[in-house]
Amino acid sequence: MSAPALSSPSQPPTSPAPAILSGLTRRAVTSVGRTVRSAIGALGKGAAFTLGAIVSAREVRTWAPHVGTQARLLGVNSIPIGMFISGFTGIVLALLASYSFTGAIPLYFVGTLVQKAVTMELAPVLTGLALAGRVGANIAAELGTMRVTEQVDALETLSFDPLAYLVVPRVIAGTLMFPIVVGLSMVAGIVAGWLASYYLLDLSSPQFVKGMRLFFEYFDVRYGLVKAASFGFAVALVGCAAGLGTRGGSQGVGQAATSAVVRSAVLILVLDAFWAVVWLLGRAT
Amino acid sequence: MPRKRVDDFVVGLVVIAATVVIVGSTLWVQQVDFRQRESPVEARFRDVGNATVGGVVVVRGVKSGRISGIELGDDGWVRVRMRMDEGVKLPGDATVLLGQASLFGEWQATIVERSALPPNPDVRRQIAEASGERGTLPGAILPDVAQLTAVAGRIADDMASLADRVQTAFDDSAASELRSSIRDVAEMSSVLAETVRRQSRNLDAITSDVGSGVHALSDAAATVQRVAERIDSSTASGQVRSVVDNAAAASAELRDAAASLRVLSDRLSVSQSRLDTLLVSSHSLVAKLDSGNGSLGLLVNDPSLYQQTDSLMRQLRALLTDFQANPKRYIRLRIF
Repeated sequence: MSAPALSSPSQPPTSPAPAILSGLTRRAVTSVGRTVRSAIGALGKGAAFTLGAIVSAREVRTWAPHVGTQARLLGVNSIPIGMFISGFTGIVLALLASYSFTGAIPLYFVGTLVQKAVTMELAPVLTGLALAGRVGANIAAELGTMRVTEQVDALETLSFDPLAYLVVPRVIAGTLMFPIVVGLSMVAGIVAGWLASYYLLDLSSPQFVKGMRLFFEYFDVRYGLVKAASFGFAVALVGCAAGLGTRGGSQGVGQAATSAVVRSAVLILVLDAFWAVVWLLGRAT
Repeated sequence: MPRKRVDDFVVGLVVIAATVVIVGSTLWVQQVDFRQRESPVEARFRDVGNATVGGVVVVRGVKSGRISGIELGDDGWVRVRMRMDEGVKLPGDATVLLGQASLFGEWQATIVERSALPPNPDVRRQIAEASGERGTLPGAILPDVAQLTAVAGRIADDMASLADRVQTAFDDSAASELRSSIRDVAEMSSVLAETVRRQSRNLDAITSDVGSGVHALSDAAATVQRVAERIDSSTASGQVRSVVDNAAAASAELRDAAASLRVLSDRLSVSQSRLDTLLVSSHSLVAKLDSGNGSLGLLVNDPSLYQQTDSLMRQLRALLTDFQANPKRYIRLRIF
């Protein structure tokens, strides 16, 4: 079928402008659709991966022996960096509070601010972000390397479920150990703020403790630890998903590690806002 | 030891240590008393404001415990449980006041004696209402700082309004008037000072005169004393008795004379009233005469009638003269 045969001689010739517009429109709509499909596809992949990990958790004999090792790698080895970050955050927070509390506000409110901010927000989020870089990248790189070197395929060949063998112990270790790391970070942050107040701000210990106890509730600690557990779950799961989804060679491993860190960081902030809306908004009203 | 077992041991150790540290820190901050060394105290309130569990309990300004529980009770009461530190003794007839400890929202419970309650009628009413339950301290809530500041704010507004009005009223003319008033007051003060100085001098003179007068009075008093001594001696000899008796008799006579005079006066009063009546009648009669009413009035006021009467009198006199001269002309006696 030739082209002239398709066009009728009686029809007027179409101008080029509408053709360009229609082409641009078609491309824009296609782009939007592709983006939405990609996002939904990513969500679907993530949901399927999460569901698969949960289902694989039934194989306790497969993942249980590895939880201890992963807990040490992901949790115990992360305690120093978590305490370091929170410690310096506590110092800065105390100095910032004393800088802001000029005149009418008593200085013992430094203790209140340090306790509230470190316990409820800064220790969980900053430690979570730091562990997202350390743990998320570690998991993604390790699993990515196993993927590109076909070790994962070998596991499948040996009838091992890669999710049960590789993912579940890391997710459980992350979920359990993040609150431990964050809890110690809380203590380190408050103690650092206390020492900074004592030595740098000339605020006595009873005054700092008075401010710290003034508005303290069990809920503060519970809120921070639950957030930390959700962060650990998310960071480990995202790292595992990025690692097992690695394609190509070493470049793919690097991309997977980067992707795991970025997605974990974003997810931590989203979860932080989620928990604030769920718990703090309800308590405020 | 296999590596996995070492990992498990390390992880377990860290988890246990971290749990102990976190839980211990939390309980320490929350001041949990496991050994029960603190003594419980309960109070009841109608309202507890913003008091919360963990709030400070103060006795005579010293932190002596904390609020351990707040719960709703029966009949609209709110029951507040407090745990007092070991060894703290509550004052006799203790009451509990809940109020703000600072401007930043902290509330505290203050335990005071009933006699030391603030002179706020509302607080005393709350305490009186909450009293009477054994084992429970009566409690009241102090006015919120926000209320006090609101009242202070209203007062400040009123002061500002007053200042505006004063500023409006106190213009240039008012200032000049005030200046002149002050000047007048100063002049008046100087005049007053001069007057006072003069009066002071006069007072000095008067004081010396009064002194001499006092001396004279003293002499007179001595004289009176001597006279009194004499009267005393006269009294002793009976002379005064006779004088008094005479005076009593004279007084009785004077009383009788006064009674006679009173009777006479009454009679005179009656005569006067009669005379008044007579005068009124006379006045009426004279008025009638003046107005020409009646025979006498006509006689008085009508000259023709007078002339006729006069003529009549003349004729009667001529008739009488003629009658005396010629009685037979008029009188004829016949016997039989």
